[in-house]
Amino acid sequence: MNDQSPLQIEPFGEHRQLLSQETFLLAESLGVSFPVRGNIREQRLSESDDRLIWNKHGKLRAVQALRNISLDLKTGDRLAIVGRNGSGKTTLLQVLGGILSPSAGRLTYRGRVTSLININLGIQPEASGHRNITLRGLASGYSRKEIEQKRGEIAEFSELGEFLSMPMMSYSAGMRMRLTFAIATAFTPEILVLDEWLSAGDTAFKKKATNRMQEFVGKAGILILASHSRQLILDNCEQAIWLDGGEIRERGPVEEVLKAYESDSAPSPKTPEAHPFSTVKA
Amino acid sequence: MRNAVKVQQTARFSPWIAITDLVDGAARVPLWVAFASDEIQQRYRRSKLGLTWIVFSYLIFVGTISLFFGSFSDLNHQKFTLYVAVNFAIFMFLLANLTDGCAVFRTAASWIKSAPLPHSIHLFKSVSRSVFIFAINFAIAIALLFLYGHKLTWVALEAIPAFALILFNSIFIQMILGYISARYPDIEHLMMSITRVLFFTTPVLWVRDEHSAPGLRNTVAEFNPLTHALEIFSSPILGQHGDPRSWVIMLWLSLAVFVIGIFVAGACHRRLPYWL
Repeated sequence: MNDQSPLQIEPFGEHRQLLSQETFLLAESLGVSFPVRGNIREQRLSESDDRLIWNKHGKLRAVQALRNISLDLKTGDRLAIVGRNGSGKTTLLQVLGGILSPSAGRLTYRGRVTSLININLGIQPEASGHRNITLRGLASGYSRKEIEQKRGEIAEFSELGEFLSMPMMSYSAGMRMRLTFAIATAFTPEILVLDEWLSAGDTAFKKKATNRMQEFVGKAGILILASHSRQLILDNCEQAIWLDGGEIRERGPVEEVLKAYESDSAPSPKTPEAHPFSTVKA
Repeated sequence: MRNAVKVQQTARFSPWIAITDLVDGAARVPLWVAFASDEIQQRYRRSKLGLTWIVFSYLIFVGTISLFFGSFSDLNHQKFTLYVAVNFAIFMFLLANLTDGCAVFRTAASWIKSAPLPHSIHLFKSVSRSVFIFAINFAIAIALLFLYGHKLTWVALEAIPAFALILFNSIFIQMILGYISARYPDIEHLMMSITRVLFFTTPVLWVRDEHSAPGLRNTVAEFNPLTHALEIFSSPILGQHGDPRSWVIMLWLSLAVFVIGIFVAGACHRRLPYWL
């Protein structure tokens, strides 16, 4: 694994104050590089791209998906992540959600993290909706009693009714999304990490989800949301970062970052859409 | 309630992670029990007989072997049937650990990639699922013992520590195989071909004492750890003390498996989600 972290991280230094917060998330120079196996040589891959890491025999060893990402979030912060496909949004969410361990840097946080990154993962498709409520509840560390207390609320929010007794593989994408979102937010997470799939919901659901998220952020939580939906971001977030090529290109208040991002990615027919390594998971 | 501060930092190798993972996972009993029972139900979902298939497939095997191979052994037919019944129950458990172990993280990829859970819950789930099936098979074996008028003696209690030792080994064997075959999927194929051979090289269907003359068969059995696992568990149930040699070998093996397991998990823990 390529652990290139030249910088020594001080024991928190300037972030000492953040550590006293009830809920916080501090990312210091995070980097993620995905190992690439197999014998990939310079077949039309641009060697000048510094996200591709070659060994001395000219074989591709790893793809640097994220580099030098630093964030500090405290109670009540709502952060949007924008960027093009393949810019590292999902990878960053996976790291912040505690699923991928970074290859460089350090992540420090306090608070229960719930991440909804890929709605097709972490469910038992053959089991019923009700059973999946139980499983996800247990997986998030709640007792059966707590899960039973929340079951009614989840059923109501997801609007699935009778369908909760049917296997989840019979659900449509929208139904599945409603249920997973309902489960994830029912247990008042303290740090909620969401990927763009939320924007697939219909208008009514989006509105409901937005209300739910605002309610939750009001209860002293941290929201991190990656999305391509301008409206969803503006409704839910106040700060934003713009990821480009695995690095933070711009950060600041959400309107400014969105503006910069949109003016940059305005359709220009000349630039080809495909990234050189779009076949490699980034 | 105030949560503890958690830190995630890159470490190339950290045996400590392996141990905390095991401890955290072990504490979450309701979760892995739920996972295990789901998987068992899923396997038999929509079949008419459901869980009774476990009973049938076991009885069919023991019955057939006793019928066809009974005359191969010097034991009388009844004794041979009981020998096979007990041996087969525990042997299937050992074998399940080898085959399930290779797939333990691969089949759980969906959860590993979506929730920050201790990896060990998948190990505990896998082992407990095998224990469940073993319990059913073993209960039938005991029923057969009584049916044939065989009396359990106090020696049979020796099987309890023997099973505990086997259980301990199962967790770490699955851990080692799980991590390694997540990185090198070939291991799973290798294991499939090995388990087929193990059926014949382990004294399940043949009695080891009858083939104690030095030779290839004896040597292979001696180097096969499953032989010793069977010996310490089955012998007491059939009324004899387990061979002390086998106990010593199993104890050393457990230590080795533990050390290797912690080492492998320490090196692989961080990388597992990248491999799946």
